[in-house]
Amino acid sequence: MTDFLKATAVVKRYGGIVALGRADLSARAGEVHALLGENGAGKSTFIQILAGAVRADSGTITLAGEAYRPKNPEAAQAAGVAAVFQELSLIPDLTVAENVWFRHEPLSPLGTVRAATLNAATAELFARYRFPDIRPDREVRRLTLAERQVVEIGKALSRNPRVLILDEATSALPPAETEWLLGLARSVAAAGTLVIYISHRLGEVRAIADRITVFRNGETVAAYETQAVDDETIIADMLGRRMDRLYPPRVATATDRVALGLRGFGAGSKLSGIDLDLKEGEVLGVAGLQGHGQRELFQALFGLGRAEGSVALWGQPRDIRSPRAALSGRDGLALVPEDRRSHGLMLAKSIRENLTLSVVRRFTRFGLTDPTREQALVEEMIRTLRIKADSPEQPAGTLSGGNQQKVIFGKMLLTEARILLLYDPTRGIDVGTKGEIFTLMRRLAAEGYAILFYSSDLAELVHVADRVAVLRNGRLAAVLEGDDNSEHGILRAAMIERAAA
Amino acid sequence: MTMLAADSRERRAMPGLSPSLKATLTDRAPILIPVAMLILLVAIYASLREGVFTLDELNLDTAAALTLVLAATGQTIVLLRGGIDLSIGGTISLGTVLAATQFRDDPAHVALWTVLILVIGALVGVVNGVLITALRLQPFLVTLATWSILSGTALIILPIDGGGLPSFWMAFGSRNWLGLSSAVWLLAVLVLFWLWFRRTRLGIAIRATGSNERSAFLSGVSPLGINVATYALSSLFAALAALYLTTQTGAGSPTIGKDYILPSVAAAVIGGISLFGGRGGLIGTIIGAYILTIIGNLVFVLSISSYWQPIVSGVILLIAVLASSIAERSARRSLT
Repeated sequence: MTDFLKATAVVKRYGGIVALGRADLSARAGEVHALLGENGAGKSTFIQILAGAVRADSGTITLAGEAYRPKNPEAAQAAGVAAVFQELSLIPDLTVAENVWFRHEPLSPLGTVRAATLNAATAELFARYRFPDIRPDREVRRLTLAERQVVEIGKALSRNPRVLILDEATSALPPAETEWLLGLARSVAAAGTLVIYISHRLGEVRAIADRITVFRNGETVAAYETQAVDDETIIADMLGRRMDRLYPPRVATATDRVALGLRGFGAGSKLSGIDLDLKEGEVLGVAGLQGHGQRELFQALFGLGRAEGSVALWGQPRDIRSPRAALSGRDGLALVPEDRRSHGLMLAKSIRENLTLSVVRRFTRFGLTDPTREQALVEEMIRTLRIKADSPEQPAGTLSGGNQQKVIFGKMLLTEARILLLYDPTRGIDVGTKGEIFTLMRRLAAEGYAILFYSSDLAELVHVADRVAVLRNGRLAAVLEGDDNSEHGILRAAMIERAAA
Repeated sequence: MTMLAADSRERRAMPGLSPSLKATLTDRAPILIPVAMLILLVAIYASLREGVFTLDELNLDTAAALTLVLAATGQTIVLLRGGIDLSIGGTISLGTVLAATQFRDDPAHVALWTVLILVIGALVGVVNGVLITALRLQPFLVTLATWSILSGTALIILPIDGGGLPSFWMAFGSRNWLGLSSAVWLLAVLVLFWLWFRRTRLGIAIRATGSNERSAFLSGVSPLGINVATYALSSLFAALAALYLTTQTGAGSPTIGKDYILPSVAAAVIGGISLFGGRGGLIGTIIGAYILTIIGNLVFVLSISSYWQPIVSGVILLIAVLASSIAERSARRSLT
């Protein structure tokens, strides 16, 4: 069978950073073709080129035997390429139906778009592909993230694409909808469409992909039939030679000194009666089912929102009513927030500005900033954290997810706070960077930092934390250590009430 | 293993929330608030003066409001796009001086120059749109610059207020059909235009781009195309405002346009248009323009100093902005 889509030696640079060094891909019509690779491997750049959102510097792409070089998303859509981006392309103030048919709306004789026609067409489209129930006339800004993801898929399908690109399309979906989407991808491919499927979840890829292409560091490193390859090979190809262990050895470094002491700590109705001691040199994990008070715990500790009960830092009682009060230097607290794109970073600002924003006083003398001293601090952080960037002046928004997270870590470390609150710090980050972050956490603990660490991935808590505090319904259900600190143990503590009920 | 275990299932379910009355009210707050304010102001006005609820009053108020309504129509389109157009002040001034200096007492000649003024107006917008897109400049600064250039041009053509307009031209401004003035009829045409325009692909794309520029681009909206269309429409409406204004004043003025720049924004914002783009409609803007006009009437009827007019307008503007932001916040809270 001939290749329907063939990309050869596609290159894209941003300034001095090579996003794509040499991307190759051959895919057939009617197959599900998975693209795998760590974050920053170039998958996103490659599909943005396919979708016309970014133009390649060099290389050739052919689609159905013809040269394909879309100059904008409109041209890509006209050629039959529709993409569901990780960064959603929906318009919040338009309705579901208006979004689905945006730019190719069926028109009345007066050249207008009739809401009734649009809603009916959407309902029909949704029924054809057995979509979850979403009303076509709702405004998209009123939908949940999962619903938006589903609408985005409908939008791509409404164009009857020859190539359908799904970029991490299941990342926001609950299990039932994930199943649905996997089935949908298979049936769309069975009807002759090429489905390019990008996911970090190897299980999904195994379930639906006919073939797999692996990217690493901006280059295509392997391509195979799914059936002819095992998971070990795929992972080895994704990581390359950097096969060091994900989890660093855990050496107990906790002392008896209490860094953060909580008594009767609570926050509104979501969290109450927490008694907990975080020790110097300790990584204390926090676990719980979604919505059982973990977020409130971290926010209240950092002075966001109401808090009750008593907090002592390094033995001193403290009343923390604002982040400013929390960030009090060596005796204070620093937080890595959950949503780095909207809370942690100013994407348009440079790495340097992001790193030093909260610590301007550290290099200020007589009311003037000292650029030499600032530069030294920034370079030290970039070096320690191995932030991969062109220069400190590069905008934070142009970094990969993992590198953005490192900038946030750097920002937090520069505050000199020795109690660190890490809220899901590895979410959406590639395996390599995850390993680096865990190593860093253990190193900091060994240096005497005290770390409170929440993760939605239980394995991380089990392997990185010394002890794990499990929350259930806003209360402390258990503190697990030693052999009890296992995925099984955590889940049981987090769910036991449900099981009994 | 991730923590999205069983209990997160029900909260992630996808129900179609049946809209309660409260949700509907907060949803419609941006338009209900100006409607309520207009009713209140008209009620106060009617208590101070006889004959407020007559066709005469409607004809007069509409004639007084229409220039602002037309200018604010263009501004509304730009605000929906998420931009702002200060140059309409220059376009209006230039339009009036061109009409005052070029119109002769000959309908064919007037028709020709009417078309030319509209074309010049649209070209101003094309230039704005190209500058904003191609040079990636702030709309505020680009249109501030073009406003200045156009104002200077108007002053060169006609240094002081004056010039003359054909009598049939001014007669049009004061004519009535079926008891309704030309202004009321023009307003009706404008509303029909809007009801059509907001449902066209261009209308939707303008609103969409204001709502989320990046998403609109990814969906295939051309940044240059949308900016040129948006600013050209704005300038075109400014030129229409200028032409209508000359039927009322009977003269050209190289400085009159600046009186419409900020009131056009105020009318739109009072009428519920978000300065962040994407939300609101022309009906709100028209109500906003009437509110500003009635405030002028009230100040006149109360025979207090006309300096009170901008003060009251400012307070009304603050109330409108505050009320819709409270509604917006409570809507967001009811969602989570």
